[in-house]
Amino acid sequence: MITLARALALSALALAAASQAATIPPGTQLAARQEMVRNNGAEPESLDPAYIESVNAGEITRDLFEGLTSSDHHSNVVPGVAESWKQVDATTWVFKLRRNAVWSNGQPVTAEDFVYSWRRFLDPKTAAKIATTYAVYLANGMEVVNGKKPVTELGVRAVDKQTLEVKTAGPVPFLPSVVSVAQYAPQPRATVEKFGKDWTKPGNMVSNGAFVLKDWQVNSKVVIEKNATYWDAANVQLTRVTFLCVEDGNADLKLYQSGEEDFMQQIAPGSYNALKAQYPAEMHNGPLLGLRFYALNNDDPLLKDVRVRKALSMVIDRQILSDKVTADGQAPLYGLAVKGLGAIQQTRYDWADWPMDKRVAEARKLLAEAGVKPGTRLKFTYNNSDYHKKMAIFAASEWKTKLGLETDMDSLEFKVLIRKRHDGDFQIARHGWIATFNDATLFLTLIQCGSEVNDQRSCSKKADELIAQGNASTDPARREALLTQAARIAMDDYPLIPLLQYSVPRLIKPWVGGYDDMNGQDRYRSKDFYIIKH
Amino acid sequence: MWAYVVRRVIVTIPTVLAVVTLCYVLLHLTPGGPFDAERKVPDAVLANLQAKYHLDLPLWKQYLFYLRDLLHGDLGASFRYADWSVNDLVARALPVSLAVGGTSLLIAVVLGVALGITAALRQNSAVDVGVMLVANVGSVLPSFVLGPVLVLVFAITLPWLPSGGWDDFAPRYMVLPIALLTLINVSTIGRIMRGSLIEVMSSNFIRTARAKGLPMRLVVMRHALRPALLPVVSIIGPLAISSITSAIVTESWFSLPGLGKLIVNGASDRDYTLVLGLVVLVTVMAVLLNLLVDLAYAWLDPKIRY
Repeated sequence: MITLARALALSALALAAASQAATIPPGTQLAARQEMVRNNGAEPESLDPAYIESVNAGEITRDLFEGLTSSDHHSNVVPGVAESWKQVDATTWVFKLRRNAVWSNGQPVTAEDFVYSWRRFLDPKTAAKIATTYAVYLANGMEVVNGKKPVTELGVRAVDKQTLEVKTAGPVPFLPSVVSVAQYAPQPRATVEKFGKDWTKPGNMVSNGAFVLKDWQVNSKVVIEKNATYWDAANVQLTRVTFLCVEDGNADLKLYQSGEEDFMQQIAPGSYNALKAQYPAEMHNGPLLGLRFYALNNDDPLLKDVRVRKALSMVIDRQILSDKVTADGQAPLYGLAVKGLGAIQQTRYDWADWPMDKRVAEARKLLAEAGVKPGTRLKFTYNNSDYHKKMAIFAASEWKTKLGLETDMDSLEFKVLIRKRHDGDFQIARHGWIATFNDATLFLTLIQCGSEVNDQRSCSKKADELIAQGNASTDPARREALLTQAARIAMDDYPLIPLLQYSVPRLIKPWVGGYDDMNGQDRYRSKDFYIIKH
Repeated sequence: MWAYVVRRVIVTIPTVLAVVTLCYVLLHLTPGGPFDAERKVPDAVLANLQAKYHLDLPLWKQYLFYLRDLLHGDLGASFRYADWSVNDLVARALPVSLAVGGTSLLIAVVLGVALGITAALRQNSAVDVGVMLVANVGSVLPSFVLGPVLVLVFAITLPWLPSGGWDDFAPRYMVLPIALLTLINVSTIGRIMRGSLIEVMSSNFIRTARAKGLPMRLVVMRHALRPALLPVVSIIGPLAISSITSAIVTESWFSLPGLGKLIVNGASDRDYTLVLGLVVLVTVMAVLLNLLVDLAYAWLDPKIRY
């Protein structure tokens, strides 16, 4: 049970974090025109918080709708509609909403709005594709999504207009981070009910974020403008932001070079070094809370043996992969946790620091013990992109030259790959995982027994126990120690081959202020940006 | 002739039906479904989703539901875009494709015919060689080479035009894509027109016309042009369809929100209704264009009567 002193400390922390919006360095001269054009990649599948699933839809939606909390450019959780919060016991949280939070039609944002929106998001009738990703944290969340309990049983309650009580399914020490996601943002009930599916269209939409929707041209752009009724409007610099929907990396670059956009989505694979040389001051490449790995099917007759899995992992030279193959500044990884991930320490295999010769000798010994002869065939499945192909060829050549194993390559379309992975119809498969909020739990689900995202079908009862113990603990230091230990134990079973930590290389015009390279979630609120005089 | 038109329109129905059925079956046979994502959708949510999109019914029932909606002009709900129906999406993308594809085709026909006539009437002269050189370059250079060159010259080196994007039919965004499609089409039309006119000019009735003492201009305009246009007209149908729908490279290069982009995204997202809707649209357009081409034949060639 949490102590009162700790609860007070937490809420004080929340208040202290109330430094909002763009922090403009003293002496910065702002441009008269505070407008920005951002390429946001694929067309958003929706602007309705209950239906969005992609990163790019979330990026626009968070500008339009503000949840209880928010995430700033350093990936810190900062107050949103809630001005403070506290954990009153292991599974109960109380959020205090600010009185000056209003919708763009002038109506106040109340605790009832959150109750309505969360119920709508998790209602089986809504059929939100990623409902369970977030439902799992709320009391009765999974039962509601599965239609076993009515939505009114969901663990969220309006105590009064400004007080929201949230009950969690178990201890969720990182709840403030969870509720910063776009899916948990409030939706305007009257507008949703009046317009139905069309409530997100320009002219219909009512929102409570720093911006309001101005224009939406499908497959072309979404334009938002500063919301005058937003509680922190005084600190919002940009008056207009245009989100382009350009997926092609080359088209993105051309738009940037011809001055049509200020902010690229991501540079095309293979172009990092050349573009960095060409635009040294404009190239940014921050690490992302994301893990590139190869999933190993632990049920496969050959890979059932941990010695085989270990040997395959040991001989891949991550440094060469990072420096020469992907060549885009991604850091080598030898464990489950990526740098910057909350509530866990990075773990590292002891052999990671061995010279490669020693690693190869050990791997060969392991294979010999497991009875795997040179010439044995592996089957590697990846989705058809040049980037993944390059990496796959490198891995296959490592296994061939160092272990004498042959690899059959199977290139599939993305949807087919993930279906095969989920169905266990693979031996070794490309995989990647990116955090939607900053907590170790998200990565640990990859290796938990029976987890819906554990495509490897691995299981370590010991690690599972430690994770449960860690999550039950209200002491952050103890939790971190337990989760770290769990990750280490699980990874010693070699369920997967960790390779690299994702990064996001992109070009940004020098006059865009407020961008932070150390933003592992790659979530950028437009309210934190400003345009420098140029 | 009207009886012929009505007959042709009636024949369209089984054609569209056959295409829709084939496409429906193929789409459902493709491995991977619309709800496959990195994070496996749990069974309960999957059941909700399938119920929402009628995917829980037997395939034949789903198909009949689809046909019923289709007859009412409803192309269904998109599997990916929650806020837009397929009708909404098509209604927004079609005008873009028509504006870019239609304009470029119109320019290409006028230019191509003019160039073809010029080259044919001065066969083997320097003008002919020059025109054909340009036409051949246009036809051998694929759009993914011509497009970047246009962008490099007119958007980056000379910053006159945007390198891509779209803003409510603003002309500056349309110039480069239209120029690219025109360059490609004009070469095809020009070469066909030249060849066809050369052939017609050597036929007996032209010799008769010239023997009557008609000036060259009248011989061409009154007698030779119509029959020479026949092969051009027959190529316009397929060119129109490809300009409007298969301009996938052009649309992706210039980031245009047209039908090509919808088709590619729809297929990779397994957005069944979106892909089917587009297939229906393209089929109907192809059939109608072919009908128009056939009617144009009758107007151009007195030997053809329906």
